[in-house]
Formats: sequence, structure tokens, C-alpha cells
Amino acid sequence: MSTIKKIPKIPRLAQVVLVIGGIYTGFWLIFDLFLGQPIPKSLMGMYMFFVVTGVLMVFTATEESTRQLVHPIQALAEDPARRRWRNVVFLVVPGLVAMAVFLQMQPSDEAPLELRSIHPAPPSSVKIFGKRFDLMSLKNPYRHLQKDDPEQFRELVTAGGEVYIRNCQYCHGDKLDGKGPYAQGLNPVPLNFQDIGTIAQLQESFLFWRIATGGPGLPKEATPWISSMPIWQDFLSEEQIWQVILYLYDYTGHQPRSWGHD
Amino acid sequence: MATAEFNLRDFQSGRGVGQGGTAVLRRTVRLIAISLMLLIGLTATSAFSAGDAEKGEQIYVQRCTLCHGEDGDGMGPAAERLNPPPRDFTMAQYKIRTTAFEEIVPVDGDLVRMIHDGMPGTAMPGWSDVLTEQDINDLVAFLKTLAGLEEEEPGQIIDFGAQVPISPESVEAGRKLFHEDDRCSECHGQSGKGDAVKKLKDDSGYRTWPRNLTKPWTFRGSNDPRDIFTRITTGIAGTQMPSFDDPASEGRLSIEQRWNIANYVNSLAKTEKVVRPENIVIRATRVAGPVPVTPEDPQWQEAPSSTFLLVPQLITPDRFFTPSNDTITVRALYNQDEIGFHVEWDDRTRSIPGDGAAKKISEPGLSEDAVAIQLPVTLPVGAEKPYFLHGDSRHPVNLWFWRSGSTTADPSVSLVTARGSAGETTARDADAVGLQGSGSYHEGTWQVVLRRSMTTADPAEDLQFVEGAFIPVAFSAWDGSNGERDSAHTLTTWYWLLLKPQPGNTPWLFAGFAFVLILLIEIWWARTATRRARS
Ligand code: HEC
Ligand code: HEC
Ligand code: HEC
Repeated sequence: MSTIKKIPKIPRLAQVVLVIGGIYTGFWLIFDLFLGQPIPKSLMGMYMFFVVTGVLMVFTATEESTRQLVHPIQALAEDPARRRWRNVVFLVVPGLVAMAVFLQMQPSDEAPLELRSIHPAPPSSVKIFGKRFDLMSLKNPYRHLQKDDPEQFRELVTAGGEVYIRNCQYCHGDKLDGKGPYAQGLNPVPLNFQDIGTIAQLQESFLFWRIATGGPGLPKEATPWISSMPIWQDFLSEEQIWQVILYLYDYTGHQPRSWGHD
Repeated sequence: MATAEFNLRDFQSGRGVGQGGTAVLRRTVRLIAISLMLLIGLTATSAFSAGDAEKGEQIYVQRCTLCHGEDGDGMGPAAERLNPPPRDFTMAQYKIRTTAFEEIVPVDGDLVRMIHDGMPGTAMPGWSDVLTEQDINDLVAFLKTLAGLEEEEPGQIIDFGAQVPISPESVEAGRKLFHEDDRCSECHGQSGKGDAVKKLKDDSGYRTWPRNLTKPWTFRGSNDPRDIFTRITTGIAGTQMPSFDDPASEGRLSIEQRWNIANYVNSLAKTEKVVRPENIVIRATRVAGPVPVTPEDPQWQEAPSSTFLLVPQLITPDRFFTPSNDTITVRALYNQDEIGFHVEWDDRTRSIPGDGAAKKISEPGLSEDAVAIQLPVTLPVGAEKPYFLHGDSRHPVNLWFWRSGSTTADPSVSLVTARGSAGETTARDADAVGLQGSGSYHEGTWQVVLRRSMTTADPAEDLQFVEGAFIPVAFSAWDGSNGERDSAHTLTTWYWLLLKPQPGNTPWLFAGFAFVLILLIEIWWARTATRRARS
């Protein structure tokens, strides 16, 4: 508030308009211009709703400030000296509203938003390779070698790397950053394993399920029909899947989440 | 300091083809960042020491062996699934370098650049986000030991002479040189799409494709005239792209001639074929008359175009890893009776089974070129769509095929209802639903039109097009000369088709209503206000 008081020349009403306009431009500058990722219109509408409410709340915090804000509007209607102004404003405002309604009524050509859950709850057990796996207790059979036999562990990681480079890098990228050569042509984009939001948060059993059953193995809330993640039990052996999981954690330096009893 | 200098060059190289106005802003920011880096560099030059080959080897083992192989011979486990294959460092042949044709040793900056930026259009990524400048210098020192280059003096950088600025005259002079005696068009084709009738192999026997010069975003270097000048001057080592500055060759060109050709090549970029990731809706335009029948009809140009990336079919058996088609451009027109799609894609080879010339440039097993448009049989309810690859058992898709024909068969149109790649597919009678098509091939580009009536007799079997709905649509393409048939092909994910309806009168009606309503409220408010002021 103090900064606002320092520039008393700008009327309060104009200040409100300036602040809201400024925030809007800020959004546009950051997302459209810099990041090149425009915010979808519907989302922008929601953000701006909160911004406008917030700004109005700040500007009407005290009775005095409310009065200052409302006064010019009131004067417009009450003060006979401003009658000409009033007539202009009274035509412009409905005109603007009518225009907004008209534009709103135009059929939209913005694609519908597709929301999906990235990490849905896994089923408690799944059938993979013709066997039933209990995902609650399933563990990577090679993980213990990390402590018990580091040399053999290295070999398994290397084998996992070979599986990865032959099968996965096209989409997930050879830096495991989700930016493989074909990633841009897919929607949803292949996940970035370097990110702390993916495998770093997951258990190895979750990965086993996801890799073995791929996009079509997802539950509905995760939109299985658009995921291009292949069903790897069609191409890889059980051992290879566990090896590639070792590689994912080894290359990124993440640790798998565990139940905490080991 | 070499690093900062190199960045500056990259900044000038105009990589941001088709990125629009924001590119300028981003570049400005980058310029500031680079200036800052230069400043820091000046004060701490010693921090950038020469590369340490031993440290480089450690990084190599961690980051590069899976592609370039343990011994640096390019024989990593994925080699046969990548085209171009990873570079064999033991041969000391570097594609993108600034040293003269007869000098085999690149300067360090050349290698630094490729490792830093990567090579667009290949599996080779840029490493600047995970490796420091020092790491990259170490790697370069190590790579040189693989071919014994560490003992050699760095090669002499080519003579750039006086750069000829881009001008219509220079571009025209370049155009003549490009076509004169088929100098470049011999391989790159009449319009530069790399569609010439030659089968090229690199020194190790891998198929190489002359670059499509209208798609500069696939250049390993860049399409800045200075980069193109360098490529023409040095040639591309290990491939058939020749040097035009080879003193021993009759084809040697003067520096000025090379600048002119570079300016011409730079002018070939077809920016409407740049993929804009935010553009995921094909907006069909309504026409008053009939939907045009031939692909060449200029009316197609009235419809806005959308270009999508083609991804190889890596998802279901049998997988396919080495595509040659990379993008597809789509337009759509409709009227009350009919809808037509115009699809266009660059394909270097016209594949005609039975034709001797086509066979010569083909990989083993020449098949027809083909394209398919995929649509759901019924409009999705809610978010649930058919599986993007040929549907699934509960959500079938219509596939409209167009195939290019052979010496004995005409081009053909066919209709299939598919229920997943492993599920059953039903061949249907295309004539019965009025599905028609026609295609034409010209200088490295296929253009195909597929048309159908908006509605059919059987809504349970065929999509009924409606205005205003977002209709999922996807595409597949086959390059028959590249071993592509059946499950070996390229594809897109689901995008949207929108037949934008005529809005009619309702928006006017509602706008008028809003205007009157607000005005009435205002008048009422003014009246009460004046009354209050009076009292
Ligand atoms: C054709 C592209 C493609 C290939 C090839 C591919 N993936 Fe994926 N993958 C995806 C996409 C897209 C997603 C995100 C959508 C989803 O979750 O299904 C994904 C998701 C995943 C996830 C889920 C991560 C998480 O945080 O939930 C794992 C794990 C994964 N992939 C592992 C692999 C492995 C291992 C391979 C190789 C054996 C592989 N992928 C190959 C496209 C691909
Ligand atoms: C996913 C596979 C892959 C990985 C990982 C990879 N490269 Fe490459 N690299 C390639 C391919 C493919 C090419 C050949 C591109 C071409 O011929 O156009 C290449 C080419 C190169 C070239 C040759 C540049 C030229 O001008 O000819 C250098 C240098 C290079 N890579 C260095 C590295 C280094 C250093 C690393 C590790 C930090 C690395 N690469 C990791 C696939 C890879
Ligand atoms: C004998 C065939 C042949 C001729 C003649 C030829 N090129 Fe090429 N060109 C190629 C091949 C093959 C490649 C791709 C090499 C590779 O695999 O990286 C290529 C690549 C290129 C590139 C891509 C550079 C990059 O950064 O990716 C440019 C530019 C180019 N050529 C321009 C020209 C020009 C200009 C001429 C005439 C002065 C010419 N070429 C003549 C075969 C040829």
C-alpha cells in the first residue's frame, strides 16, 4: 500500500486498471513471449478472475480506499456537470460488453484440454508374462547386488543400458530427459526420468508394471488411449525389464522409493 | 576463449527458422548472456584449460559408449537401428568442420560445437545442458586420441574471403550455379528436396540421403550462409557430398561462386513446413462450390495448413526404426455434402514396384508409397478416444488408404475398419461410401486428396462428420523405397479436425440483448442517483 500512496497523482480507479493490466501483460510476456508456451484461454480466464478479485480486495481494504475508488464512478452518475461524460461512458460500456458477448459466442477453435493423471494408483496385482505379480510386495530381484556384489551389479546396469539405448532412447532420450529424437511428435510427451517428479518418486514395482504393460496398461484416468509407451512384455524379458530399471536409476542418480522396511 | 567465440557464432547462425518474433527477443537475451560470458571469460581465461584426455575418457564411458561404442568405432548396441549411425571416431572423419578438404584434422572448435549443439535430424543430442565447457574440452582431447590426431597439428581453417551479402542478384547467381550441369541438383534434386535419382552410400556402406535443402532445420550444421559456404567448401567427409574447393577437381568453384550458392541454398527454406507444436487443430474451411478433386487445384491453398511430425512405428511388432519421411502437411475443405483432405509430404523417392529405375534407388523389397487418414468410427464421448494406433477392440477406427500403384496397377483407394494393430481389421468397400482419392508426385513431394461424403448410410461403421465438433484425426505414411510396408511406417498421434460452423445470427442476437440490458441498468442507476443527489 505504501508504494501506492507515493504516487497519489494517479486516480485509484486508474491504478486498479493499471495493476490488472500490468499483471495480464506480465503473464503474456513470461509465458507467450519468453517460454513460448501460451496459457490456454480457459486457464487464463481463471487466473485473471483471481487476480481481479484479489486486486479489488486490496483496493477496498479500508473504507477510505473504497470511497476513493467508488467516488469517481458515483460522481459520474450524480454530478450534473459531468453529464456529457456520463452519456459517452453509458454507451461505451454496454458496447464493450456486447462485443465481449459476441466474441464469446463465436465457435471456439481451441482444442479441448486433455487432463490426465500422470501417476495413477497401480493395481494391487497384475498379470505379466502370464504370471501374477503382487505389486505391493514385488521387488527388483537384482537390487540387493548393489551392496552384495557391486561387480555383478555393474554388469547388470550395463546390460540395462544396452536395452535402453536399443529400445527407449528414441522417445525418452539418451540423456533420459524425455527429449528423444521423436519425443516432439508424441502427446503426451515421453516422461523425463531426470526430473524429480517421475522415477525418483516411484517404487521399482511401479516401474515394472508401467514398463511391462505400457500405455494400454494404464487405468482410464491416465488416458491409456493416447499414451505411446509401448507394451514391453511383447519385446523384452522379465530380466531385461529389471535391468533397464537398474539403468534408469543408475544413470539419473536417483534412488527408488521403498516401503521403508529395508 | 574459444568457447565464448563459438557461442557467438552460433548466435549469429540464425537457427531459429520459423520461430517468429519471439526469436528476436530470445536472441537479444542470449546476446546479453554471451556478452556476460565473454566478460567472465576475459577475467578468468585460465579456467578454460586445454582438454584432459583421461578425464575425457571417463566422461565418454559414462555418456557416449552406448552409441559410439567402447572402442569409439561407432558400433554401439543400437548402431543398426540408427540412421545415420553413430560416428566411427577411429576413422577421423568429421562431417561438420571448418578445415580444408585435404586436411583431415578438424580444429577443436568444430568438435566442441557438435558435442555442444548436437546434430539435428540424428540421434546425436546436444550436451550443453549436462556437460560443462571443460567436460567437452576433455572429451575432444579424448576423441582425438582414438584416431591418433592428438599428435597432429590442427588443420588450416578454410579461406572465407569476402562474404557476399544476401541479395536477389547473389541468390539468382547461386541458383544458376546450383543447376548448371546439375552441379548440386544431381543429388539434391531440381527443387532441392534431395530427391535425385541416385542411391548414395557413405564410406561404411550405410545409406545416406542428400539433405532436403528446403528443410534447413534438419541441417547438421545450420543454414546460415557461412555454414553452408563451409559445407560446400569442405564437403561432408565420409559421404558423397563433395568439396567444391578441391584443387585437384575440375569442379572447383571460386569463393564468390560458393557464397552465391550458399545464399541461394539459404533462400530455399520452406517455412510452412516447420512444425509448430501448438498447432494441433486442422481447421477445415467451408467452400461454396464443390470440394476440389485434384491435388494441384489452387483452391486448396485457401485452407490453413497444419504440419505434424511423423514418428516411426516403434510401438507394436514389427517395429520400424529408420524412417525417411519426417513431416506431413494437411489441409481440409468441405461443403454441405462432402469433405476433402489434402495431405502433402516430402518423399525423396517415387516408389513404383516393377519399375527398373525405381528399384535401383530402393532398399530391398520395393513397395508402393502410401498414406492413410485415421478417424474414429464414432465421435468420442467425453475424453475417451480409440487407441491412437489403429484403434482398439471397443473403439474401432476408419482408415482411408491411398496407395501409389505399380507398373501394372493404378493408384488405389481403400477403406478399412481397424480394431487395434493385433485386433481384426475389416476391409470395406470404398466405393460404397463414396471414398475417392487422387495423388500426384512432383520433385520430391507427394500430394494426395482423399474425399468422402459428410455422412454415410451406416453410422455404425463410418464416421459421420458434423460441424463444430472436435474430431480426432491421425495420419500414417509409407515410403515404399525405404522398406516401409505393413507395420513398418511412420505415423502421427491424434490431432484434431474442426469443421468450423457458420456462427449464424445468434451471436448478434445475444450481443444486442446484452447491450440493451446494460443500458437499461445504467439508466435506472442514473435516475436513482440523481434523485438521491437532489434529496
Ligand atoms: C514410442 C515412445 C516410447 C518408447 C520407445 C518408450 N517409452 Fe516410456 N513412455 C512413453 C510415454 C509417451 C510415456 C508417458 C505416458 C505414460 O505414462 O504412459 C512413457 C512413460 C514411461 C514410464 C512411466 C514413468 C512415470 O513416471 O510414470 C516409464 C517407467 C517408462 N516410460 C519407461 C520406458 C522404458 C524402460 C522404455 C524402453 C524399454 C520406454 N519407456 C520406451 C513413450 C515411450
Ligand atoms: C544416442 C546415440 C548417441 C550418443 C549417446 C552420442 N552420440 Fe555422438 N553421434 C551420434 C550419431 C548418430 C552421430 C552421427 C550423425 C551424423 O552422421 O550425421 C554422432 C556424431 C558425433 C560426432 C561427429 C560430429 C561430426 O562433425 O561428424 C561427435 C564428435 C560426437 N558424436 C560426439 C559424441 C560425444 C562426445 C558423445 C558423448 C558425450 C556422444 N557423441 C554421444 C549418436 C550419439
Ligand atoms: C554426389 C551427391 C551430392 C552433390 C553433387 C551435392 N551434394 Fe550436398 N549432400 C549430399 C549428401 C549425401 C549429403 C548428406 C550428407 C550426410 O549424410 O550428412 C549432403 C548434404 C548437404 C548439405 C547439408 C549440410 C548440413 O549442415 O547438414 C548442404 C547444405 C548441401 N549438401 C549443399 C550442397 C550444394 C550447395 C551442392 C552443390 C554445390 C551439393 N550439396 C552437391 C550429396 C551431394
